[in-house]
Amino acid sequence: MTETPSFSLISTNKIIQMNDVWTSYDSKNFALSGVSLSIDRGTNYAIVGQSGSGKSTLLKLMNGMMTPSKGTIKMDYQTPNMNNKTFKKMMHTIGYIPQSLGLVKNISVLDNILIGALPRLSTMQSILKQFPKHEIQEAKRILKLVGLSGKESRKAYMISGGEKRRVAIARALMQKPTILLADEIVSELDHVTAREIMDLILDAQKKMNLTAIMVHHDMTLALEYANRVAVIKEGEKILEIGVEGDKIVDFQTGDMSIEEIMEMHNNDAKE
Amino acid sequence: MTPKNNIVIAIIVGLVIVASYNVDANPVDFAEGIPNLGVIVAEIFVLESLIDDLKYIPTALWAMLETLQMAFIGTVIGVVIGLPLSMLAARNLNSKFVYAPTRALLAVIRTFPSILWALLFVIMVGLGPYAGVLAIVMYTIGFVTKLQYESIETIDSDPMDAVSSIGVSKFQLIRYVVLPESASHLLGQILYMFDYNVRQTSILGIVGAGGIGFFIINYIKFFEYGKAAMFMLVVLITVLAIDWISVKVRDKYIIKSQHGMDVKSK
Ligand SMILES: Nc1ncnc2c1ncn2[C@@H]1O[C@H](COP(=O)(O)OP(=O)(O)OP(=O)(O)O)[C@@H](O)[C@H]1O
Ligand SMILES: [Mg+2]
Repeated sequence: MTETPSFSLISTNKIIQMNDVWTSYDSKNFALSGVSLSIDRGTNYAIVGQSGSGKSTLLKLMNGMMTPSKGTIKMDYQTPNMNNKTFKKMMHTIGYIPQSLGLVKNISVLDNILIGALPRLSTMQSILKQFPKHEIQEAKRILKLVGLSGKESRKAYMISGGEKRRVAIARALMQKPTILLADEIVSELDHVTAREIMDLILDAQKKMNLTAIMVHHDMTLALEYANRVAVIKEGEKILEIGVEGDKIVDFQTGDMSIEEIMEMHNNDAKE
Repeated sequence: MTPKNNIVIAIIVGLVIVASYNVDANPVDFAEGIPNLGVIVAEIFVLESLIDDLKYIPTALWAMLETLQMAFIGTVIGVVIGLPLSMLAARNLNSKFVYAPTRALLAVIRTFPSILWALLFVIMVGLGPYAGVLAIVMYTIGFVTKLQYESIETIDSDPMDAVSSIGVSKFQLIRYVVLPESASHLLGQILYMFDYNVRQTSILGIVGAGGIGFFIINYIKFFEYGKAAMFMLVVLITVLAIDWISVKVRDKYIIKSQHGMDVKSK
């Protein structure tokens, strides 16, 4: 967190706060049970854990698509709820990239990116699909930035998996986000492409003072890019560590070396 | 086969027999009626009258053109009114308080067959094609809307959720996700509806609501089977032609895009 601006040292630096959050999809099982976390503005925060541990659920709570059955969540001091008018305004600047990406298959790559600008359009402009010139220029700039030059008029179902991820990132960046929630967007990619995409997000983060919460499958990648890593297991946060370079600076739970953490994660992955 | 199945089959057979008796549907009458068909066919092919009938071909074509125009206007207006209604009736776009009453209204509209609508509009606006157009509009609203809200409900929820999470308006969601993702289905249904409406419009003339059916019913009334048969032939050929064209259109633009191939590739 060496890059955190000085003003964030006062109390406003906590952009996300979760306090003893419980939630469930059905009445029987809790997908999350008593998760608390607090994230500083500008952090690259990684969430790691095995399949079914509740990582995606955590992100859905942050963008208001789900609400906790117990506990409180504050996103920039607002309670997330997608049916609430005030929070809906805030959703305009929360870039959410779901695990399934959620691209509109039958429209072009450029149009998919422009969707990120919809909150800035009037009803008339959006019905007539008249995006202002500067928005189209911005979309093209981001398109280039994420490495999709020449693909802008392709339909979204006609591009590769890696390219789809880039489109989803571009759509999120088009929102001019303050918070980015990304669900395993590099998990299925080769190492080179995964790092390319991570570098891209890190770069955007530096330029935009973005807070990124990224779910990862790969602990190595999480330790490499994140300032902080939370490990989730069966709906509970079992560990949170701060990372600086290749040093772990701060244990919130437990007392382990990086090797032990890696080993634990690998064992989890094997289960 | 279980005894339970046998009982069900026995009951159905029994019901068919009872119902046939009630409606006077006697197979013997049907067999005895077959020669009458021969009389009609013989009458159609009497040479002089056949030549005389051919003079009516232009009239038949005009009547068919009127029918096509009625079906076309009715389909277009029906779809224009029906599409917004299907957006209101889709469960994945609205709360129960919106979709439930919309569906109820559509169900009521659907209970009337087009011929009853036609009768109603003949009383309202008088005899002629206008009543027929209104009937087709109503029928289309009831029918195409059901097809469309059902296909809107099958749209993949991933892009819907992802785009909703940006906090866009309902209009924007419809314009940028719902319509593009369901367009090929909706178009296919509209084509099908037009196809079906041409057939329906052909008989609306029976109640005086315009179109080629008016001629056919009158010729039959006055035992001019030759002319009636020729007019029917025009309907048959037109319907087959439209069927063929819509199959082609569907194959070319709709099926392909559903299979994920680029239709407009350069
Ligand atoms: N839509 C749903 N309905 C019911 N249960 C669900 C639903 N989505 C997730 N769950 C359950 O909630 C728990 C947490 O799921 P979640 O999707 O958050 O896991 P995850 O950590 O993201 O897993 P993965 O790495 O496989 O994506 C799991 O037990 C899962 O079965
Ligand atoms: Mg997940």
